Amino acid sequence: MTAVPAAIVATGQTKHASRRLDVSMAEMAREAIDRCLGARGLAFDEIDAVVAGNMEMFEGIYLVDQFFIDALGALGKPLFKLNTGGTVGASVAVACYHLVASGRYRTILGVGFEKQSDGSTQAAITTVGDPIWERAVMAGAIGNFATMASTYIHESGVTELQAAKVAVKARLNACRNPYAHLHLPDITVEQVLESEYLAHPIHRLDMCPSSDGACAIVMAAESEAERLAEHPAWVHAAATAHDQQYMGDSPKRLAVMRSLRAAAAKGYRQAGISDPFHDFDVAEIYEPASYAELAMCENLGICEMGGGGRLIDEGLTQMDGPLPVNPSGGVLSANPVGATALIRVAEAALQVMGEAGDHQVDGVRRALATGYGGNAWTDLMVLSRERPS
Amino acid sequence: MAVNEVAGGTLGSEAKVAADGVMALLYAIARVQDGDQHLNLVVAHSKESQADPHGIELAGFDPYYERALDPDDTVAAGLQAGLYYARSGLGPADAARVVAAARARSEVLDDVTVEDVLASAPTCDPLRELDRAPRMDAATALVICDESTMRARDRSGVRLVGGAARAGAWWTARDLARADEARDAADEALALEGWEPSSLTRIEINAPFAFQQLLIGEALGLGDGESLVRRLAGGDGTAGRVNADGGWLAGSATSVAGLAACGHAVAELRDRGGRALIHGATGICAQSHAIALLEGVA
Repeated sequence: MTAVPAAIVATGQTKHASRRLDVSMAEMAREAIDRCLGARGLAFDEIDAVVAGNMEMFEGIYLVDQFFIDALGALGKPLFKLNTGGTVGASVAVACYHLVASGRYRTILGVGFEKQSDGSTQAAITTVGDPIWERAVMAGAIGNFATMASTYIHESGVTELQAAKVAVKARLNACRNPYAHLHLPDITVEQVLESEYLAHPIHRLDMCPSSDGACAIVMAAESEAERLAEHPAWVHAAATAHDQQYMGDSPKRLAVMRSLRAAAAKGYRQAGISDPFHDFDVAEIYEPASYAELAMCENLGICEMGGGGRLIDEGLTQMDGPLPVNPSGGVLSANPVGATALIRVAEAALQVMGEAGDHQVDGVRRALATGYGGNAWTDLMVLSRERPS
Repeated sequence: MAVNEVAGGTLGSEAKVAADGVMALLYAIARVQDGDQHLNLVVAHSKESQADPHGIELAGFDPYYERALDPDDTVAAGLQAGLYYARSGLGPADAARVVAAARARSEVLDDVTVEDVLASAPTCDPLRELDRAPRMDAATALVICDESTMRARDRSGVRLVGGAARAGAWWTARDLARADEARDAADEALALEGWEPSSLTRIEINAPFAFQQLLIGEALGLGDGESLVRRLAGGDGTAGRVNADGGWLAGSATSVAGLAACGHAVAELRDRGGRALIHGATGICAQSHAIALLEGVA
């Protein structure tokens, strides 16, 4: 079996915000879709299939894809709905890739959306934990990441100051991205460190916001991709690895991110990556908390284990550094969960296509994107200007 | 997530498709066709006894305009059944024959008669309790692989030919008495392989209500009126048996039924050869439809 070369040729996002009171969730998803298709003048009848991702329990709509048939433009088409926790946006992109690479479909629309203001996100996330052993002590995303960050600090020696620098970098990068939720041009490290603890060691400004937003991509096959985009973002790797359900079964979860390491090993092998720090020109990684970016860089092999703090201290992942990480502002600047990981992939694609606007990194030829969520699950994609041989 | 470990998914590549298991199968086929995987485990599971089915189904309705009426899938299906019976000329007694035939083929549920169905408790007119598949805890799993892997393991297998899917309109925005998307999906799947409908030796229709199986069967070209009922309820002696193991009405569950039907078909196709069309439905009033085609390799 041989994969048909496939590439992302268009992306679209909403302006992410705390509360989109002007639109319903369906209208919000459609906003991103219209921008995506409009970017290339595509019509719905040119789309062969739709892949959708959303966290149903956040807004409490069961089979939301069926309710949103019209908004998704999926009437009369194959509609795949994925549910893989916070990873789901990247899982959508991975599914778009495989459905095109299989030769079955030529052009696929991938959509991720979340309207957190319509529901109760942390109450829903709490149900991920085991009802007897985990919910009482690690309820919701903040409790989980606080536990993980504590472990990471202990193992790596990273400091609250270094994490705060990540938080500042993300928010300043976001000021160049018109779709980012948070625009905080005056943010300082001191402000981050002085913001209240949500759960030690996580300060409020170390954590991502809760956002309403949507993202869409179009994945197309070989000649179709070349027709639609001047510089398609070709998929060179699409890898997934999921960790065990119970946090206690994968100790030191943020310090040793087994699923990230496994997905990186698979994806780098697929794409021929041997030196991630030098082989990638930009990375969009899924960091719901400041500490996560540092730990993820270590586990992705961007630096040595324990070297995350050094990366930020030396400015290596800044916009003007050798490997900019999250020029979009990352998850720390916008987190509409069902869309978030797809935004990572879309932003990586924009960088490869040379269409990222004010947050474009010069000369990008190869980009890394990751999705992370659920019970430490990882999706990883490598995008490139070079068409796969 | 809940089955990651028991499915052997730890540090492996896993995705969850939220629909009938046939949709998961179609995604799994793509993962094998593009060379990403040689072997793929497809699992469908549902533990309906652990949930509040009414509450979950209620959450599937429009939160702005419909939920205040406290509907669930049975309420919507009652309206659909009325429309279908009015259009088709069929009625509760015909659906009851389908239920009785399914239960007679069931390995896990007791037999019921047509009279039992017609005398069971009314739910939403014209439906009665036994018109709907009972709530079940169920899981099923299939392993699919590429041809080289099958040859290397020296196993005569069943060729998973392909499939197609079509999403239908929201239940208040379409003609509930028809299932055009099921027909379109089947037509596309068959046309892709150049199969004539008459070449099918087994057809599995999966929807939770007996009348929906008649409705979808009609859309799939299995006849109409009495001939359609005979195809689904057995006894007409024609080739292309329908729901040979009873299907969802014989004991299955949401998300599981279509994939379980694939498993049942595999067992037969491996032994006897033949061609099977497996249907799975998702959503209120069987909104969206997926089709998989399987062929026994002699």
